[in-house]
Amino acid sequence: MAKKKSLTAKKKVTPKRPMIIVGMGTCGLGAGAKAVLESIEKELKKQKQTADVISTGCIGLCSHEVLVDVAMPDYSRVTYSKVKPDIIPQIIEEHVGKGNVVKKYAISQMPLNGRGVKQYRDLPLFDELDQNKNQVKVVTKNCGIINPEDIDEYIMSGGYKALEKILTKMTPKDVITEIGKSGLRGRGGGGFDTGWKWESTAKYVADQKYIICNADEGDPGAFMDRSLMEGDPHALLEGMVIGGYATGSTSGYIYIRAEYPLAIERLKIAIRQAKERGYLGKNILNTKYSLDIIIKEGAGAFVCGESTALQFSIEGKRGMPRTRPPQSVEAGLWDKPTCLNNVETFANVPIIINQGAAWYSKIGTEKSKGTKIFALTGNIKHAGLIEVPMGITVREIVFDIGGGVPKKKKFKAVQIGGPSGGCLPESYLDSPIDYESLKSAGAMMGSGSLVVVDETTCMVDMARFFLDFCTSESCGKCPPCRVGTVLMLDILNRITQGEGKEEDLDVLEKMSDEVRTMSLCGLGQSAPNPVKSTLRYFRDEYMAHIRDKECPTASCVALHKYTVIPDNCTKCTLCIRNCPVDAISGSREEVAFIDKEKCIECNLCYDKCNFMAIK
Amino acid sequence: MINITIDNKIVSVPKGTNIFKAAKDNGIYIPGLCYHPKLTQYGGCRLCMVEVTERGRARHRFSCAQPVAEGMIVKTKTPETQKYTKSVMEYLLAHHPLDCPTCDKSGECGLQEVTHDLKLQTGRFKSVRLDQPMKRDNPLLEYNSNRCILCSRCVKVCKEIAGVAAIDYQHRGFKTVIGTAFDKPLDCSFCGGCVSVCPTGSWQDRTLKFRARPWELKKTPTICSYCAIGCSLVVNSKNNEVMRITAEENLELGVNEGNLCVKGKFGHEFINSDKRIQTPLIKKNGKLRPASWEDALEHIAKKFSKIINDHGGSAIGGIGSEKCTNEDNYLFQKFCRAVLGTNNIDNISNMKSPSLNRLINNAVVYGMASTSLEGIENADTVFFVGADISEAHPVLGSMVRKAIRFNKAKVIIANTRNVEFGSEARNLLRLNYKLGTQTALINAMIKVVVDEKLVDLKKVADKTENFNELCSSLNTSEIDIKKISGTTNIPEDSIRAAASSIAKAGNCYVICGKDIQEDPSGEETIEALMNLCALINKGDNDKVSIVFSRENNNSQGVNDMGVVPGFLPGYLDIEDQENRDAIEELWDVKLSADLLANNSGDIFDLAVKKKIKAFYVMGENPIVNYPNGKKVNEAFKKAEFVVVQDSFLTETAQLADVVLPSSTYVEKGGTFTNMVMTVQRLHKAISQVGDSKPDWQIICNLAEKMGHEFEYTTSKDIVDEIGVSVPIYEGIEVNRLRRKGFHWILSLYYKTKAAVYRFEVASKKTNAITSNKKYPFILLTGSSLRHQGTYSRNSESLISLASECFVEINRKDAKKADIVNGDNIKIESAQGKLKLKAKTTGRVPEGAVFISENYEWVPVNTLRGNGYTNVKISKTK
Repeated sequence: MAKKKSLTAKKKVTPKRPMIIVGMGTCGLGAGAKAVLESIEKELKKQKQTADVISTGCIGLCSHEVLVDVAMPDYSRVTYSKVKPDIIPQIIEEHVGKGNVVKKYAISQMPLNGRGVKQYRDLPLFDELDQNKNQVKVVTKNCGIINPEDIDEYIMSGGYKALEKILTKMTPKDVITEIGKSGLRGRGGGGFDTGWKWESTAKYVADQKYIICNADEGDPGAFMDRSLMEGDPHALLEGMVIGGYATGSTSGYIYIRAEYPLAIERLKIAIRQAKERGYLGKNILNTKYSLDIIIKEGAGAFVCGESTALQFSIEGKRGMPRTRPPQSVEAGLWDKPTCLNNVETFANVPIIINQGAAWYSKIGTEKSKGTKIFALTGNIKHAGLIEVPMGITVREIVFDIGGGVPKKKKFKAVQIGGPSGGCLPESYLDSPIDYESLKSAGAMMGSGSLVVVDETTCMVDMARFFLDFCTSESCGKCPPCRVGTVLMLDILNRITQGEGKEEDLDVLEKMSDEVRTMSLCGLGQSAPNPVKSTLRYFRDEYMAHIRDKECPTASCVALHKYTVIPDNCTKCTLCIRNCPVDAISGSREEVAFIDKEKCIECNLCYDKCNFMAIK
Repeated sequence: MINITIDNKIVSVPKGTNIFKAAKDNGIYIPGLCYHPKLTQYGGCRLCMVEVTERGRARHRFSCAQPVAEGMIVKTKTPETQKYTKSVMEYLLAHHPLDCPTCDKSGECGLQEVTHDLKLQTGRFKSVRLDQPMKRDNPLLEYNSNRCILCSRCVKVCKEIAGVAAIDYQHRGFKTVIGTAFDKPLDCSFCGGCVSVCPTGSWQDRTLKFRARPWELKKTPTICSYCAIGCSLVVNSKNNEVMRITAEENLELGVNEGNLCVKGKFGHEFINSDKRIQTPLIKKNGKLRPASWEDALEHIAKKFSKIINDHGGSAIGGIGSEKCTNEDNYLFQKFCRAVLGTNNIDNISNMKSPSLNRLINNAVVYGMASTSLEGIENADTVFFVGADISEAHPVLGSMVRKAIRFNKAKVIIANTRNVEFGSEARNLLRLNYKLGTQTALINAMIKVVVDEKLVDLKKVADKTENFNELCSSLNTSEIDIKKISGTTNIPEDSIRAAASSIAKAGNCYVICGKDIQEDPSGEETIEALMNLCALINKGDNDKVSIVFSRENNNSQGVNDMGVVPGFLPGYLDIEDQENRDAIEELWDVKLSADLLANNSGDIFDLAVKKKIKAFYVMGENPIVNYPNGKKVNEAFKKAEFVVVQDSFLTETAQLADVVLPSSTYVEKGGTFTNMVMTVQRLHKAISQVGDSKPDWQIICNLAEKMGHEFEYTTSKDIVDEIGVSVPIYEGIEVNRLRRKGFHWILSLYYKTKAAVYRFEVASKKTNAITSNKKYPFILLTGSSLRHQGTYSRNSESLISLASECFVEINRKDAKKADIVNGDNIKIESAQGKLKLKAKTTGRVPEGAVFISENYEWVPVNTLRGNGYTNVKISKTK
């Protein structure tokens, strides 16, 4: 007889001792969180202070990393941004030692778990920060708050309650109905109705059934799933077990990129802890239901994010999509019924179960329910991870949450959905973000990467970049994707080198349609999207490249004429100082002039100029 | 059946068929390059787009990936589908090198066909091509990745049909190519399946060597002359020269679904080899010199007549051929019996396993012999007993793999060696018995079936004879599962599992191979095996069929035709006066009175005893092929006069006094009988090489010289006579053989009911292998994939592919003796010695060495005597 499994948390989060929390997501680590952590520990010893030092995941303010939170007993938790090891002594001395907030570095404070803790004066609340005001943190509520390597903190914040609820009070059918009623749609990009998918899987009878989490997040500029797995791995596990129970799955896989070592490690810890506590493995919570979850590391092929290719990859075969039918729900992994969902989708599940479908479906629009996590990057002030309700406008995201385009440059477009998505120009700033509106505007939800570009970005070049990505990530199975995209790329390359013809645009448009229609999987079908949407909204930019042999943003190196735009030149002489062949003349009084005879077109002056004065 | 409309034509196809196949089977063309009826669906070429209207909604679908549904309306050519299909073709052509003028595929290229069908003009694109070097790392196949459209057919054929999986995709995106693991040289079974299915010129048959364009080739369908499967193949010839062999495109024809093996596909160069004997040769002063047919035949007639006069006809021994046609062999035995007056005729297969004819005949009579090889595809369990399928009958392996793929068939491999069988079978059970314990193993399985009552034993007892005796013979201390598990070295569970999966299968094939047939205790093993089959068949609805996988293309036919001392054609006992009378009447001759004299022992024994003075050998090389090398050499040395009829100057031909050049299988008509008694017809593809003649014609001429009229103008005349004089071939008609085989077992089963099975009492003998201190190893011999006798030996490409015969030694033994791969090894037995290179392997059990018999230039038989051969091995320089 298995021993009675403990279902309660062992310790409490609110500390009796000072607590120092360091953001140790990949973004934090990249900004130097490790050095900060070390110096905190060193400094505590040196100053003979005691404090619990805890690492946490990403809270979303990636542009503010390294983030260090200090929580004194009975006081709210204060967030310090852009912490470097050299300011640690000061923070520890002032804040930990004397209880005074170091105002210079602190950006916000947050009351812990809503308890009546004392707040500091003149320090904004975390949720009132500009970038957090319009966000609705549902799925990411634990990220950056709890310690992801400690199951108790997850349980303390209400974790595994949903699992307990469904295993004891709900039948699989009830779960599916509840998820169906919530209107949850796949967060991996396709927006497929989750309840329906689960229902289809549950319908098939087989000796083995699989539930798979697709954590092969490969879009350039996307890191939502990574942050979730690093910040709140148990939410994913709980969602998967609930999904497994609902669909009758016998084992589960998390297919995750090997490039996410931290997420893998935290998931492994989470799986171990969940097993120890009986939330996973044999006879979960002493019921008849058993589910084991296996982590399968991908080898880095983008196409393995496609569900059938992913399944082949798990089977140890080459990751290549196959034709459907049969659908995965009928014959997927090892020809058994398989339910495959994205990380974020699973993370939504416990919340729906806990709060109820009715509560959940109040968030969002008519057809797109709930919240969506976006990775906001590019030419934007507050880059980071954001969670917003469906239906929010692009403007709110870019200008209110993201703080707009930095350096006083003008907003040009936002690329939504990574290489498979499309761009939305300024005129679409007020269009709502949901599956259908994005699709009709020529973009797509994708997994949720949101890249903001300003006026200095050449849209032809951007389309070329994304197409290049798809070209090299094609699995090679079908000609439209394998050869078609290369042919399109070839045309784009010619255009950016000033060798384009006007007919090319017509060919590109036709090919966009052909490649989309004829490709086998989503990768090929969506590969032309960046080209198609830039052609739709920025055709004049293409025309400038072709007709005038000019790149309006002067990004296409081959089209540079190496002349100075007098109006833009501030006479800073930076270009003159950097020119290796002394081809530039001018002075503090005089606009620079480039001598074409001497110029070797090394592009250094262009790179150095801060004012876009050289084209 | 499901009814759908394709291009206004209503067609009815089975459920689960895809639209592509439905259209193709009904004569409607849809472009497509990746779909192949014998491979799993892939859906990668994206050319087969059609418009499908279901429930009033029209949608674009890829026809190879879309199963039919009732009421579907399919349009294969709409402006939209044409537009999109064209676009994909345009992409493919922008990538393809368009080097058609120098491509061997040009003229039969799928890409050309689709281009032509879509009426493609100059495209919109500059070409974007791969620039990879041609891969030429073996003598048979070359791969040009620049031409490849990545349809996956070769990858699939290699994995699904050949079971090798030597090739797969490499790299990603535009750079994707087909290649081997780590780019090592191709090391596969070289079945050439990749060439056969390749729709472009990426895979090329190097034996063609740019000698002909496809449209210049004359294509003659015929039957392969290597192993006993009897694959249909197509001889491609130009100017009376065979250029290449291709597979039969119509997969419904023949037994092999267009699958071939390395020998069938590439081993054709012997036909036009300059080593062919061009004219008759007569030995003068110890040297064979060219002579005219007239002189040669005259010489033979004289000599034979003299010997008959001096010693009687029985002093001439005739050796028929497992390679020659039924007609050749029929005429050969008729000539020997009627003209020479000797019954001392035999063939090597009968000499190797003298009881096999009787046993096979029993299997037929009792109704458990398999009637067709294609049936294996429907098997639920396949039981290989002493059959090295991958080496001996590779295409049979493909059939089993099909059963695995479609029926999830279980495979049980019982062999003393750990023979190779590449497949995706999840249920593969190996019973690697100790040599000599095979009978005990089968008896143990019978005991399991009886003890565990896996079949209805009462039914068995009712329907058979001697069942109780069998049961009581099983109840001895010798036949005890635990004990046998110990002696055979097979876990008890495996024995039980094997017995139950054979007993419980819906449809089971037992394939009994050479290793059992030619084993000294083969007779007992096969009897036990038949007991097992009968037990299950009688207890549970005749579901087990047994196949005796014979070695050569006409090993069955030569015996059917009565080139054996014991039987007249059609297994009629020659001792029976009635049978002799009947044949005398048919042949209109009086058989010699002393026909049955001198009939003890095989002919070589008789020759050694000087009772046989002359040999007439047709298409056989006994000096190498007869297992006991010492005996056969002595026999030929003692013979006064030897006539050999062959296409090449074999070791035996070199000893002959007269050599007559015979034609190979592509130069003549006739029939072969394969291992399941399917008689298939050959078609003449090219005219005779040199002065050679078909064997039957030579016999006719010789008979004429000896004063007998053999009035046959074509081989058809002989078939007609066979149809009358060989009862089992009754009803055979040449014209009906044009596209379909004649299954003589089937025709027999139509006519007669199976006899009541009589169980043989289980043998308690365990054939202990005597260990020998002087010669510590047991010599195992067997088949080889890449060679089979004279034909492969004279095919250049096969020689350069496999130029060396190795002695295979178990790794552990090799380690003990400090032998590594490639060491020169001297193998010595009491009879003789041989020097070969070593190959260390896990396939051979400890204490044994393995040498293939099929490298004709390696006389393994010089090592062998009767029974098991003990050898010792040592390293030499």
